[in-house]
Amino acid sequence: MSAIIEIRNITKEFKVLNRREGLKGSLKDLFSRDYKIVRAVDNISMTIEQGEIVGYLGPNGAGKSTTIKMMTGVLEPTSGEILVGGNVPYQNRTKNAQEIGVVFGQRSQLWWALPLIESFKLLKDIYQIPDKEYDGMLALYQSLVDIEPLLHKPVRQMSLGQRTLSDILAAFLHNPKIVFLDEPTIGLDVSMKAKIRTLIQALNREKHTTVILTTHDMGDVDALCRRIVIIDKGKMLYDNDMEHLKGFFGSYRTLKIRVDGDLKAHAEEIAKELPECSVSADEEWISILVDEDKATVMEVLGTLQTAHSIRDMQLQEISTEEVIKKIYEEGVQ
Amino acid sequence: MQKKGIRFYLRIYCKILAQDLKSKMSYRADFIISTVGMIFTNISGFVSFWILFRSFPSLNGWSYYEMLFLYGFSLVSITPVQCFFDNNWSLRQNVYSGDFIKYCFRPINLFFYYQSEVFDIKGLGQLAFGIGTLIYAWVKIGLPFSVLMLLKMTVFLLTASLVMIALQNAAAASCFWIENSFYVLDLVCRFKDYAKYPITIFSPVFRFIFTFLMPIAFIAYYPSLVVLRPDAVPLLSWLSPLVGIAFFFVSYKIWMRGAMKYSGTGS
Amino acid sequence: MKLKKYITLTRAGIIEALQFRLSFVVMVIGNLLYLIVVYFLWKAIYASAGTDVVNGMTFNDTLIYLVLATALFNFMEMYTVWEIGRNIQSGKIVLDLLKPMEYRKYLFWSYSGTFVTQFFLTFLPTFIVVSVVTHGAVPLGINLLYFVISVVMAVSINYSIDFLVGTICLYTESIWGINIMKQVIVLLLSGATIPLAFFPEPLRSAMYYLPFQSIYNAPLSLLLDGDPQPQTVLTTLGMQAMWCIFMLLLSKGFWKVSLRQITVNGG
Repeated sequence: MSAIIEIRNITKEFKVLNRREGLKGSLKDLFSRDYKIVRAVDNISMTIEQGEIVGYLGPNGAGKSTTIKMMTGVLEPTSGEILVGGNVPYQNRTKNAQEIGVVFGQRSQLWWALPLIESFKLLKDIYQIPDKEYDGMLALYQSLVDIEPLLHKPVRQMSLGQRTLSDILAAFLHNPKIVFLDEPTIGLDVSMKAKIRTLIQALNREKHTTVILTTHDMGDVDALCRRIVIIDKGKMLYDNDMEHLKGFFGSYRTLKIRVDGDLKAHAEEIAKELPECSVSADEEWISILVDEDKATVMEVLGTLQTAHSIRDMQLQEISTEEVIKKIYEEGVQ
Repeated sequence: MQKKGIRFYLRIYCKILAQDLKSKMSYRADFIISTVGMIFTNISGFVSFWILFRSFPSLNGWSYYEMLFLYGFSLVSITPVQCFFDNNWSLRQNVYSGDFIKYCFRPINLFFYYQSEVFDIKGLGQLAFGIGTLIYAWVKIGLPFSVLMLLKMTVFLLTASLVMIALQNAAAASCFWIENSFYVLDLVCRFKDYAKYPITIFSPVFRFIFTFLMPIAFIAYYPSLVVLRPDAVPLLSWLSPLVGIAFFFVSYKIWMRGAMKYSGTGS
Repeated sequence: MKLKKYITLTRAGIIEALQFRLSFVVMVIGNLLYLIVVYFLWKAIYASAGTDVVNGMTFNDTLIYLVLATALFNFMEMYTVWEIGRNIQSGKIVLDLLKPMEYRKYLFWSYSGTFVTQFFLTFLPTFIVVSVVTHGAVPLGINLLYFVISVVMAVSINYSIDFLVGTICLYTESIWGINIMKQVIVLLLSGATIPLAFFPEPLRSAMYYLPFQSIYNAPLSLLLDGDPQPQTVLTTLGMQAMWCIFMLLLSKGFWKVSLRQITVNGG
């Protein structure tokens, strides 16, 4: 394996205009303006290997887009180093562009009025794709998705799902080393989401393309990513495998039980019996969050059975969504 | 990867153009209405011209037909900006909404890629009006005709068109720095209407301004003198092709610098 | 309170307009340039005419007329057609139609903030400068009152025409074509670019029977008439009032009919 993207300590700062409020403020703005410096990306480092699918996550305004813009050569970092396929992106934007593909969920880069096949032909010329490779790619596409009905349809007449699919196909067309996907499944229905995930996975497998995926949909992450990177307020919070993520706050599982009698009263009792677990109750269930590093679920269950008659039970794994939410809200200790 | 020369870009442009025209044909109503609008604009221009100058045999030493020649010249030389660089008008919108970012990821010249997206076919109507006027005025004035004259005319028209293109590029690029740049573009667009008057009607101060600061005089007046008054061609007329090329180059640099500075809006 | 919601829109408009200080500077420069060109052009025209009075107007009269016409244009241009067209294309119109206010009124009052700023920042300064520079060539008397009444009606007629033309955008996507046709016709036939007095005879009479001259020619001729005859004032204002009501009903009616059609067809 070889590193395709290397980022070392990059930081990006922006100058932002402070606007004053109200009518009086606007009048003041006419004559004097003050600016403040905002640090969108703060000292981030990472290395990405050829062929990886990396989920790049973070709440809105975390600095994801800024990082991606720096990797694609649109923005120059304020400080730090980036190498993409051995190039410094912002110094050689066009050369870098040849090696990457970019998809923005809601902004089609295809020619609006043209049928998809004509857009493909133009891209073939722009990226100087040899005939053989181009034909091979189209054949691959045909084997993966049903593109026949799309090829002769102008992009503007497509549904959002079809358009996203087309955009993804267009981004992979010149067989780039890296493809950046910015919220590729935003606004799509369930079946279209699944279709797009399968397509991305297949293309990654077939072409060994590195994929950097930003998304707010944990379904995308679960289906595609082996590794995730999380940033917030410009700072790196997490960079590791998906498996580690769930164990990140300890190995938590939620045990839900139903008992005879008043649930609230039982819950209070249980809380006393199991001081290492957090216990809550609603109308139907008593939820016990078990940290398996301290006590296994079976041990907990054993303790419970001695004092309470359990009528029903459920065991829940903590979901990616919950972990990510926890990270966004609490950060990493 | 081959080197991307002029031929590469020309081929791409022609292909995009061909596809674009094909797809435009499917919006016939828009095409017809826009063309009619363009014809209206030109007719109104002629009517205004006629109302103003019909009763005066000459204006400041310029005969009616010489004025008409200038008018025709300006119409032709502002056609390329209309036809090939119309996407400049959407630049502000694209930058404002953040859509401009999508143009930044292609391995070809950004300026070229952006402008190639739109070819404005209705400019051709203006071209027809302009050429018609030029020929009519040419005949009425009784200017001699030779291949050399035609060649000169072509070269000077083409380079003159670069001046307007340059002005518009620079004006459009202002959106990379300031928020409501529509007014800048609109202001420069109005220059088109002033290009048709002989610069001698202005006082020396404004002659200077319109020659060197806002080079409107290079859109029609100076370059047309080469054909219109071949006996007394001022130095500036001969220089006008260079001026056109220089201005275009500078405006291109400004545009690209703005685009590079551009960082997309947030998110 | 009913008035309050209108005032809120006005206030929001003022704040928005002030955000763009540069656009003011650019607009002032643009107008100055235009006026400079106009000044020298008409100076040349009067010089070659050889007489002080052309078509019953002196050079001063013409210039004051054109300067104030420009100021009036800046004040009245609302870009309504663009706004409606864009709202229709983007689908934002659906949201606007849901607002608890008639769309026609909503659009007008949203823009009214700009009206206020434009009036104080462009029209009034221009008027004062013109009055001072021309040493009282602009009569200051009862004619000011007639002028104000006339302008109010002109604004209304202008808006009605804009809204009427904007409604056409419900049927076609060609906003540019529609808008340019309207603009060309209104500017030429209203006397905004060339005073009506300069138009040749059959054309001039015809223009008096069209609504356009009520927008620029009517208020300006009332303003510049130092000794207004009751009969002239009454005819001018009466004619305006008639057009005002007629265009209002026409634009409202057309909007209503069009909207019903669109809703039925699910446009």
